[in-house]
Amino acid sequence: MSAADNISTILASGARLTVPLAFAACGEYLAERAGTVNISVEAMMLGGAFGAVAGASVTGSASSGLVVGMLVGLFIGFVHGNLSHRAAVNTFVVGLVLNTLVLGLTSYLIVTGTFTGHQVWQVSVPVLRDIPIVGQVLFVERWPVYLLIGVIPLTWWLVERSRWGLELRAVGEDPQAADVTGIDVNARRRQALLWCGLLAGLGGAYLAVGEVGSFSQNMTAGRGFIVIAAVIFGAWRLGRTLLGCALFGLADAMRLALPALGVSLNSQLLIVAPYLLALVAMLLFAAKDREPRALGKAFQRGTA
Amino acid sequence: MTDRDGLPGDGLGHHGGARAPALALRGICKSYGPVVACDAVDLTVHRGEIHGLLGENGAGKSTLMKILLGLVRRDGGTIDHDGTPVEVGGPQEAIALGIGMVHQHFSLVEPLTVWENVTLGDTGKVDRARACEQVREVGARYGLPIDPLAPVSRLSAGERQRVELIKCLRRDPSVLVLDEPTSVLTQAESAELFGVLREVVAGEDRAVILISHKLAEITTATDRVTVLRRGRVAFHSVTAETSAQELARQMVGRDVSLRAEAAALGMLPVERRGGRKQEEAPEPGVEPALRLSGITVRSDGVPLLDDFSLEVAPGEILGLYGVEGNGQATLGDVLSGLVEPAAGTIEIGGTPVDPARPGALHRAGLGIIPEDRHASGVVLDMSVADNLVMKSLEGVSGRLLIDRRKTHELARRLATEFNIITSSLDNPVRSLSGGNQQRVVLAREMSANPSVLVAAQPTHGLDVGAIEDMYLRLRKAASSGVAVLLISTELEEVMALSSRIAVISGGRVAGLLPTAEATAERLGMLVGGVAA
Repeated sequence: MSAADNISTILASGARLTVPLAFAACGEYLAERAGTVNISVEAMMLGGAFGAVAGASVTGSASSGLVVGMLVGLFIGFVHGNLSHRAAVNTFVVGLVLNTLVLGLTSYLIVTGTFTGHQVWQVSVPVLRDIPIVGQVLFVERWPVYLLIGVIPLTWWLVERSRWGLELRAVGEDPQAADVTGIDVNARRRQALLWCGLLAGLGGAYLAVGEVGSFSQNMTAGRGFIVIAAVIFGAWRLGRTLLGCALFGLADAMRLALPALGVSLNSQLLIVAPYLLALVAMLLFAAKDREPRALGKAFQRGTA
Repeated sequence: MTDRDGLPGDGLGHHGGARAPALALRGICKSYGPVVACDAVDLTVHRGEIHGLLGENGAGKSTLMKILLGLVRRDGGTIDHDGTPVEVGGPQEAIALGIGMVHQHFSLVEPLTVWENVTLGDTGKVDRARACEQVREVGARYGLPIDPLAPVSRLSAGERQRVELIKCLRRDPSVLVLDEPTSVLTQAESAELFGVLREVVAGEDRAVILISHKLAEITTATDRVTVLRRGRVAFHSVTAETSAQELARQMVGRDVSLRAEAAALGMLPVERRGGRKQEEAPEPGVEPALRLSGITVRSDGVPLLDDFSLEVAPGEILGLYGVEGNGQATLGDVLSGLVEPAAGTIEIGGTPVDPARPGALHRAGLGIIPEDRHASGVVLDMSVADNLVMKSLEGVSGRLLIDRRKTHELARRLATEFNIITSSLDNPVRSLSGGNQQRVVLAREMSANPSVLVAAQPTHGLDVGAIEDMYLRLRKAASSGVAVLLISTELEEVMALSSRIAVISGGRVAGLLPTAEATAERLGMLVGGVAA
């Protein structure tokens, strides 16, 4: 294989590994702008992945499975939102419990049930796919990838331009001020978690019925946490957050590609690489001053 | 407590029966557990008037207004708006009814821009161009110029107040409530505010409720005044027919004679007074107990303290006066060891202290009453006894364990000496009143026999009795030879206590003068950053 082919292969693999992260990151970004560090994004992705495979198995359609995966993510967002922004349980505890619960539940269900593999169809854009190097990366992908073209600007528009987004930002920065202005702080935060669940579920579902075609135990393997790292790396800006996702996706692709290219490195060490990179990237690029000021702080009226 | 005025409420007859009052609150009651915040409060406000609501901290003013805004549910009573009974379920409904409020602590979201803040709480599509246009329009109508695209975090306190006003007035309220609006404003900004309010009531026939504990403000800016005391209406009158002395007496419930009290009420004429030993300037040549040289603290390149230098002599009270937000909080943080200055030295008793080492300032003999009592003064959920001994564990512990008996002995001694009132030393500090909490802080700091005592806004949020007590204790500390640095935004407080006054402006000492030479004009100019 030529060097160009190698680069193209790694880039294509990197792009595919970035897609689930990017979907989930759009959701996590919006949830964090509203003030929730949603660590159950991992559970949403894993639940979405399982839901997609189960849904596809039942309906026989991978695309329907994708929808089921999104609904599973939405449901986890609903549970998280009501526990932490209605019942006022500590949001991190809720996240930990949900992550553990979903991991256990999906691991159990996948060995007790029988699921047939399904994969969504591939779109291959004529002419454009022949562009050297990037052609194969951008224009030969499974169809949900192209949803990103809509999801990314929509997320941006919702946060930066819509009334709802303005209120989300106010809630994430100064819930007391938002409250006296007449905004239902906890309702906005619950709504943000629903959006997050929908997109993280989609990310997980794409991983299962898009990339792999099946579900395996703990198949997200901490990608949810990588997404949280990407939002911090991106300093709560959507563009930089997605850049972080691409960086981590590419690191993941390198991990897979290096042995195939004949570079021998300790494989355990390689598995750690993307996570290590996430840690270093956060250290170097995290900009604390851009952090929503009420991030991770619960709101209850009259406690100010 | 005597209610000399008989039945409070409306019935002054000045606004006749031609029109229903803009707002009539009758028999409003609210209790928080055993604490009665409002006890059958009546308040009537007419269109075309500025109505002053006067009272000490905890008199029930804020609770009453929160009930009006629907932020707090009342236990009893009725609210009539323009003659119609109303139920206000929340801020949104209050806005819809035409009741707007400017909160004491600004209700602006700092990272958002002016126009975003102003339209927050609206419904429908976001229209940036129209919102900006509205901000300019309303600003122009009331003489409140502001850039709609500026982020609020970059605005001064006065500009933020303008944004709050525009936000309220844009919704065309019939009743506008302002809660302690001048607490962070300069004199010029306050004057501007009162000008706008006059225009709002006289020119546009709205009603304004001005909540304040500053007598000077109430007497100059309002048409009628209602005084609340311990949750009840103690007095009401046409402002022109009463006097500051009468209002002060009604507010406190007894004659105001003590200087400290008068100063606390903002009643003292700003002039020199002296004669007391600790009010004399220190002898030249005395080694200062505290010497700050060239202290510089920056945040994101913005200097919070800029080459700040100050010396405090043993036995004096040095007042550091200035408008909030000019570096006082940062100075407090530096002297608490919370913030490490980028440059500059701190000397205590002539010995340099490294503020980066935790506890170094305390060991060197610096005691501090921090500005934010709850955040850094006490641990609210720990017991009174534990809070009292927290900084001097050597005295009450062996090598490994804390001796509970010794802890209680020391705590009891301090509680008696500093008159801390609590049913048990094992009660959490949270259960104490603000004045008692502050005495816990003072007792703990004084128990280490400091040579320097820094008191940052020591009377914030305290009632008059507690303020008086704090003043006495600060004086006592100074006369026993402690160098006291009093950081305060209350001019009267600084004038009443200090021998010398330093003015802080923009993170620097703008000027330093003996209290005898300090006049309101000179200090005012220094506060504004003009050399006097």
